[in-house]
Amino acid sequence: MKRKILIIVFIGLLSLTSVVEARLRVLASYNYIADLVEKIGGDNVKVTPLAKGYKDPHYVTPRPSFIAKMRKADLLIINGGQLEIGWIPPILKKANNPRINPGNKGFLDLFSFIDGIDVPKEISRAHGDVHPDGNPHFHLDPENILIISGVIRDKLIDLDLSHKGIFTKRHKEFVEKWRKKMSEWEKALEKFSGKNVVQYHKNFDYFLKSFNMKQLGTLEPVPGIPPSTKHILEMIEVINNKGAEFIIHDVYHMKKPSRFVNRETGVKLVVLPHDVGSVDEAIDIVSLFDEIVRRLLK
Amino acid sequence: MKIVLYLIIVAIIFILPLTTLGSEGGSSDPFSQTKFVPAISFVMDVSYLRRNLELTGFEMPGFIHAGHSNGHAHSGSLLNGENGFNLNYAELNLFATVDPYFDLFTAFHLGEDHFEVEEAYVTTRKLPHGFGLKMGKFLSAFGRINAQHAHTWNFQELPLVYRVFFGEDGLNEKGFQLNWVAPTDFYLSLGFELFQGENSTSFGLEGTEIVNEDNGSEIEVEGARGPGLFTVYAKTSVDIGDLIILGGVSYAGGETRSIHETEDREHVLSGRSRISGLDITIKYLLDSYRYISLQTEYIDRQFEGEFYEAGSLEGSEFSRSQSGFYSELVYRFSKLWRTALRYDLLNRNNVLINGADSELPEDMKRYSFMIDYTPTEFSRIRLQYNNNRYLYLDGDLKTFSELNLQLNISIGAHGAHPF
Repeated sequence: MKRKILIIVFIGLLSLTSVVEARLRVLASYNYIADLVEKIGGDNVKVTPLAKGYKDPHYVTPRPSFIAKMRKADLLIINGGQLEIGWIPPILKKANNPRINPGNKGFLDLFSFIDGIDVPKEISRAHGDVHPDGNPHFHLDPENILIISGVIRDKLIDLDLSHKGIFTKRHKEFVEKWRKKMSEWEKALEKFSGKNVVQYHKNFDYFLKSFNMKQLGTLEPVPGIPPSTKHILEMIEVINNKGAEFIIHDVYHMKKPSRFVNRETGVKLVVLPHDVGSVDEAIDIVSLFDEIVRRLLK
Repeated sequence: MKIVLYLIIVAIIFILPLTTLGSEGGSSDPFSQTKFVPAISFVMDVSYLRRNLELTGFEMPGFIHAGHSNGHAHSGSLLNGENGFNLNYAELNLFATVDPYFDLFTAFHLGEDHFEVEEAYVTTRKLPHGFGLKMGKFLSAFGRINAQHAHTWNFQELPLVYRVFFGEDGLNEKGFQLNWVAPTDFYLSLGFELFQGENSTSFGLEGTEIVNEDNGSEIEVEGARGPGLFTVYAKTSVDIGDLIILGGVSYAGGETRSIHETEDREHVLSGRSRISGLDITIKYLLDSYRYISLQTEYIDRQFEGEFYEAGSLEGSEFSRSQSGFYSELVYRFSKLWRTALRYDLLNRNNVLINGADSELPEDMKRYSFMIDYTPTEFSRIRLQYNNNRYLYLDGDLKTFSELNLQLNISIGAHGAHPF
């Protein structure tokens, strides 16, 4: 009798798995990806971001609830470039969902479509938290957003051919809007072209490159290693010699070292959002870039 | 046998990288397979220890016999064996996707003079409906801490309750695990494991013969046939914003055959053990790096069977009902620093021989404090203090302290951040 009940309960639970949701269930490692999926997929996809926009993308706590989300997903889209190496692999393995395993149709690594910059010539952890394929924070170059929005459109069509028309149309609308925005941002930031900039972490390299700003260095001596007094003093000297327009800081690292350099050199300190949801104003990918530009001009 | 395994390891460490270098020229070797080198990581753990007691001849009544001197009970891990410097272990991990159907993971545990296949298992890649199968030798998913490797623990050693019920290596067995993740919005995972059941602390299969030297009579203690142990578990988790709650219930039931040879005589336990566990972890994330976490596990062991002693003519009815728990509070107060407190207690120790209570001590405990510094994800320095109140000599409790400075280093493939 007991056994019969157990079997019935088990079959009941199993049948839950076959309740097919009509919409494509998409998981995105970061918020900016989720927003792009929503822009292209609209009501035909149900997209869930995993990481919180206001936290350090390198250190996402691998919550057990992520396993439940992965278990049910049709598509997992990651930033790639090893940004998720510390938190996605173990939960993906535990999710028992073959659809979204790397190499299968439901897994998409965006970085693999991008030409990475700062590809290290020498791979050694003596250089800190190195990413062998290059700097992974590629989405802050607006050109790269164009590339990956096309990649996401193709993937959505691949998984849900019946909405090909809608995905194509929404993508086209997004691209038109984005191009218009790009020329706005270019014009607004023109006056900083060729100017020197210092960053706390190598977060905004793609952005700086895209808007033709020069990077003098970072306050972190090597990626992922907090600033030492010696390195800070060296950077202050570099800034004093060469001059700089901004010290760029992100929303999640302690601001103390950047504030110190700001006081010592008088160079303006700007805290820039790096992802959708990292500050209140950045509600989507467009307002994220709007807000970065607004803060630089302020 | 050991020598062969050593040679394989040496080959992997030294020869593979060389062949990789050689093949970078491109098409020089059309049959080159170096691109298939699995992910490799290597972990090393060393420590400097001050302990104000020489650990010989002590026992934990009802749990660990004097013959098994503390810390030396097993050929495997010898965490902080000696006063002064210790090489606690080195661990070599290899993992790769085998083919479209399997992933393989191995963990080789290396001591100064021993080699051990700590884990070697495959997991499935293709099973539908949220099922997963794990086959080989691996750490059981019983409880919270059992499946974690030593370098991810919050303290240097396993909690007391794990050590007395499963030994210093935890419940690590050959067999298979079938697990299932429910298609629910919250995390729910159920699992079943079938194991050979050789864990020498609570289980075991091997029988023996006890000879009474006075009159030459023999008692045969029959062995059990493997697989002799199974476990079932359920784990679930919910998030309330930045508060994460993870809980689990576990049960392990199996044959027990344990043979102890103490200085003067041999004695044998034969019967069945049932171990139940309850665990809960509550973690509150303060920001990207800082968190406060409280982790507790309560484990209960019931044994029913016979007790045989060399010299006696027949077995005695033997039962034990024991339990204990640990509770640890961890505060990561910056990106690089953590501190933690742990309380270990064995709170119940009822051992009945032929219905008579052995009146064993019931509140063996340990207080621990640690502070650690993690400059990168690949190195950690930890200072730990233990106040120990669980070892007995001739019925008297011997309190002792340990101060331990530990260095844990890993190289190679990036390990996962544990939850």
